[in-house]
Amino acid sequence: MTSQEFKNTILIKSPHYANSRIPLIQLLANKGSKKSEYSQFGPIYELYIYAFMLGIKKNLRLPLPPRSLTTEFAKIGTWKRDSSLVDFLLMIVFTRSEEIGFEWNDLEEMEDAELNSVISKIIVFIEEYANGGLEYLHGLLDKGELENSHYMFIDLYKENLQDTISKSVKQNRL
Amino acid sequence: MASIINSISFKNFFNYFGEFEDTRYDFEEGVNIIVADNGAGKSKFFNAFLWLFYDQILDSDDKIKKGVKDIAVKIISDKAKNETPIGDSVETGIQIEYSTGRWKYQIIKSFRATRIRENITSFDSWQIVMNDVEVNQTDHILPRYKPVFDAEEKNNVIKQLILPNLRQYSFFQGEEVDSIIDFGKKSSIEDAVRTLTDISKYESLVLLTKSFKLKAERDLNRQVDLNDAQNDRFKKANEIKAELEKNYELETTKLKEFKNLYEAAEKEKNELEENFSNAERRNEFDIKIKEQNRKVNEVGEEYSKFLETLNSRFFDGNFSWISLGFENIEAEFQHKIQKFREVHYEKKALKNISNNPNKQFHFLPLDSPDSVSLKNMIEKEHCFVCDREAKEGSHAHNHFIKLKNRAVDSKKDIDFVKSNLEGFFGGLQINAQPFYNKIASIEDSILKTREKEIALNERLTKLKKELKFLKDQKKDILISGTEDENSQSIINRYKGSIKRMEQSSIQIERLEGITKRIYDSIKNTEKEIASLVPSDIPEGYLLHFNLCSDLAEATVKAKERVFDNMVNLLEQYANEHFQNLIKYNELAGGHLKFDKTPSGAIEFNYIDNKGNLVSGAAEGFQRMKKFSVVMAVISANTNKYNYPLLADAPLSAFGSAFTEGFFEATGKVFPQSIILVNDLYDKDDEMKINELGKKIIKGDLVKRVYVNQVTEGVEQVELVTTKIKLK
Repeated sequence: MTSQEFKNTILIKSPHYANSRIPLIQLLANKGSKKSEYSQFGPIYELYIYAFMLGIKKNLRLPLPPRSLTTEFAKIGTWKRDSSLVDFLLMIVFTRSEEIGFEWNDLEEMEDAELNSVISKIIVFIEEYANGGLEYLHGLLDKGELENSHYMFIDLYKENLQDTISKSVKQNRL
Repeated sequence: MASIINSISFKNFFNYFGEFEDTRYDFEEGVNIIVADNGAGKSKFFNAFLWLFYDQILDSDDKIKKGVKDIAVKIISDKAKNETPIGDSVETGIQIEYSTGRWKYQIIKSFRATRIRENITSFDSWQIVMNDVEVNQTDHILPRYKPVFDAEEKNNVIKQLILPNLRQYSFFQGEEVDSIIDFGKKSSIEDAVRTLTDISKYESLVLLTKSFKLKAERDLNRQVDLNDAQNDRFKKANEIKAELEKNYELETTKLKEFKNLYEAAEKEKNELEENFSNAERRNEFDIKIKEQNRKVNEVGEEYSKFLETLNSRFFDGNFSWISLGFENIEAEFQHKIQKFREVHYEKKALKNISNNPNKQFHFLPLDSPDSVSLKNMIEKEHCFVCDREAKEGSHAHNHFIKLKNRAVDSKKDIDFVKSNLEGFFGGLQINAQPFYNKIASIEDSILKTREKEIALNERLTKLKKELKFLKDQKKDILISGTEDENSQSIINRYKGSIKRMEQSSIQIERLEGITKRIYDSIKNTEKEIASLVPSDIPEGYLLHFNLCSDLAEATVKAKERVFDNMVNLLEQYANEHFQNLIKYNELAGGHLKFDKTPSGAIEFNYIDNKGNLVSGAAEGFQRMKKFSVVMAVISANTNKYNYPLLADAPLSAFGSAFTEGFFEATGKVFPQSIILVNDLYDKDDEMKINELGKKIIKGDLVKRVYVNQVTEGVEQVELVTTKIKLK
């Protein structure tokens, strides 16, 4: 496998998400231009990447239910075309190679079948952290703790860094 | 005795939040002024009187008067609504005190609203119970009020403040003054004259004498019929007279119809003329409002698009918010790729050595010198590595060429590992740069985004405020019902009405000729009949008939004379008031002239000193003319006018030069006036009134002056009107 073939094999994979996340995804991603009371992402992959990164940040890894209870999602290669966003994601994924269970140099010695198996593990890694992030958002929604603000996602993402933007917005308005 | 309003107070009525004692306005005989900016409770104040007299409130959203009970929820102060917990109730009402002669009355109208749901503005969230009207009475000697219980008496107390048929001259809002007297409509000036003079007595006299004449004629004819000596000629003459009278009636009916047509067309023309006069001003506002609307929409769209795309900044390489918190990623990846490369190139080197043991000794890093340096070395026949000459054809020079071609040979290196992923990892590192290079500045980028949002939001709020101000200004110059009509349709209708006036005028002239001829024939026939009367008819019948005929004719003439005199008197008073109203204005002194039109209506014109018609004047000027006539109607009244004037924004179209004259004139005509104006307001002044306002309140006729204010920059639920008493 050349570098390009290896990358392509990753890019044509479609991660899955649990069927139980569908309402949450409909609420927080505005694919069909459906407005919600909460701030929304555009395409679903934005929410998915966000959830994945949130999962990584907060160290929330959660296995998915059996395949039959999941929904297939767009191929990674179609996420944010003409951008190097996916490269950045893969950079993060490959720095966690020990956790996924491979060594970079070992990859070069593997047969195609073995490589495919590693790629499958990578996809599971993405799926499980995204699932962890989605679970976190789901929990906040259920508890009524999702802040109805345009800065909701950045605030969740920034947490512990400093005061949230939403709080500063409120203070500004007082 | 004149009715004088002593005070008005509100309880949680629109922006007038609080109890009656918190919101009491005291008034005196003379001129009382309440100055308020748009939105500071001027029209709401006026609404209290609408409630008092008609149990109605003007809904400011659609400018339609509605029953108090139907829009009760809108009437309650938002602050009061907000402060009422579910299950509790709030009271809303108005209280007016007035005196007439030795009596003083207090009238309270109110309702109670109980909150049953969360949403305070929804009509479903409140249960409304109207309270009984409370009327109390005292004379000035008694210390306290006694309640009035009888419903009819309560009604009379309210009526007596301003009698219902006089309210149109005494109680009006802005442009309503235009409809009080409509000079294009015959009935309008007649109504005014009839309401204020004893012309109606003359009218009953006309009817009475006409009936006397008919009775006398019937009696006479019966006598003639009874007389044996009657002859065919007498009978025939009577038949001809009856025929003529029938004809006369027919032609008069036709004439009346054409007069009505003429009057309708003339009325339409006059109405449209008024629209023309302020169409220009309205048009100016329309253009400004359209432009402002465009700006609001543009910035509004920009703002909502900005908010909608806020989250895309996570994924846009120019912002890269998604990298926030991943400061270590670059170092971690670098560490890994370095380790990877060490092993990778080690493998490659080993492979190379096993293929070609000569490659074992390397003095230089892998792949160096680079191809550009090699090209230079070949051209200059010199080794830059060991700084020695290497002539073409020498072993060293040949080595340069071999090294330069190694890229082509490197394909052979491919199988030193099963999959060469160096390019993959290297590619990730290079491509992902936009995302990890900006991590340090993301916090700043988020703050800048927030700043931009605040700036956009502030701009939008400012633009919306300006738009509202323009709309408020335009509202003041609207004539109800014409808001949506475009100018082309006004022009077409205007031309159409003039054409109809011309056509009916021709018919009226023709029919007037015909009826005049028939009338003359009837008169001649009557003379002939008188000559044909048999001699033995008792003299008394004939005399009685002639007397009654003369009386009927004289009464009609008297009525017309009284009417004409009254119109002349009105003209005289109207001019007097008009001169007072315009005395601070630059206008050259002209004259208001009343003329009769073919339909019998009164035409009202402004004539300059040379007798030329002055037309097309601004709306404020038109209204000033009408106001002069309203005041003339009151001055021409044989009895003293005993009721207060209550007017909301009567000046809005006048212009400041008229305003001063208005307050002087109204003080002389009405025993008391309460005028609500915004024209004297000045936000930046310490006293909150402008220079003209300061001049006016110094006048002796002005007794009380209040300035209304609302708290600036608060939410609707916190909005409260407060007052400053200046005099």
